[in-house]
Amino acid sequence: MVRRMSVAAPCKLKASDYKSGTKPVWCPGCGDFHVLASLTKAIAALALVPENLAVVSGIGCSSRIPAYLNCYGFHGVHGRALPLATGLKVARPDLTVICAGGDGDGFSIGGNHLLHACRRNVDITYVVMDNEIYGMTKGQPSPTTAPDWDSELAPGGTGVSPFHPLVIALASGANFVARTFAGDVKGTTRTLAEAIGHPGFSFVQILSPCVTFRPDQREWKNKVHPPPVTFTTDPAQAARRVMTDDGFNIGVLYKGSRDIYGQAVERNAEFERDLDAEFLV
Amino acid sequence: MSNTGKNASQNFTQTELLVHALVIELEAVQSYKDLAEQMEQCGNTEVAALFDKMSKLEAEHAEKIREAAGDVELTELPPWEYRWPGLEPPENIDLAGVHYLMTPHQALELALENELSAMAFFDAIAHDSTDDQVGSLAQEFGDDERQHVAWMKEWLAKYPPPDDDWDYDPDPPAAID
Repeated sequence: MVRRMSVAAPCKLKASDYKSGTKPVWCPGCGDFHVLASLTKAIAALALVPENLAVVSGIGCSSRIPAYLNCYGFHGVHGRALPLATGLKVARPDLTVICAGGDGDGFSIGGNHLLHACRRNVDITYVVMDNEIYGMTKGQPSPTTAPDWDSELAPGGTGVSPFHPLVIALASGANFVARTFAGDVKGTTRTLAEAIGHPGFSFVQILSPCVTFRPDQREWKNKVHPPPVTFTTDPAQAARRVMTDDGFNIGVLYKGSRDIYGQAVERNAEFERDLDAEFLV
Repeated sequence: MSNTGKNASQNFTQTELLVHALVIELEAVQSYKDLAEQMEQCGNTEVAALFDKMSKLEAEHAEKIREAAGDVELTELPPWEYRWPGLEPPENIDLAGVHYLMTPHQALELALENELSAMAFFDAIAHDSTDDQVGSLAQEFGDDERQHVAWMKEWLAKYPPPDDDWDYDPDPPAAID
């Protein structure tokens, strides 16, 4: 397989050079600050050229991240970050495309897009900052919230079984699957760099505490731990592992070798030109 | 997680030590700067000013390390290759410990914790290194951190500990209350 990533050897920008002048409005203590730091460090380590990098997001606290980065960005429609990112990458395969958002945006509103993005295996990296809550809209339970999480908005808990994003991603065909903890900047940076460099659809779930509506998540730093075994290339084995872990194993879980979209099917340039012409206004 | 484990402090070369020392300070500069901006956004200007001051202090320390390096070229490593004893460089504030209503006393307590971590990092290298030059340089860096610890303690004494209701917000962010 050919990795389609825009890496330029002479680019020696520092992580801080990839931050825009816009100051984040996240709450102090939010895990997303760490994710921003990790992402900029990973991009700097990979020497990605800002003009060849695009970060696409949906809606939510974490989806504000493109505004804080010094590269191309698209703050899209709620739940539709993946279709936007997919379209961008297919139209401009020379770009490195990173898609980012939260658990509500990615697993609920955009849940269906996740399945098909995994299936298509377009060469993009999807980063989900999972805080198990809708933070921007003041703390409603999300698809990854535990069923017994008690709050004013869900007294006694929702009683609804939480979503297992990593298992869904594996079952749907994602080519790289990992979980990290936002507070582990070093580990997250490394995993993000690996995910961006891995061909095909890479999915990284980052446990990113919401200290405002889920102050209990401050304890995540004491709960996360490395996995007992290294990654596997067998999606079924990876799925079994993640279904039986405690939700706090962090690290790369699965690395696949599926053909990436656009390489498995030969493109018909003439047909594409004709189709483009039909839609010209 | 990303810890390097036991005896990591034995194996630093002089250049590695200088690079680690510089990165500790540069990361701290950025970390305090970020925190100052976060507090400014929330209107906690007193703590913002304190974090800004800390950022400047760390920048001076970074400059001192650059001077100590002289002609030695300090090439930064990929972030995952640094050998920190914890998840992050020792002088980075643990974000989980900050709060938008935190008081200067609490901010200084966090800063003191960081200075102590940095001091312990260099002291461990000074103690464990089998290279005399590295040991002596680590000792020097550890002493610098000791000086910072003393300053933090002096500053802490000037600010009273927080009241019990320090985090009371008459207009809390949680609309569900």
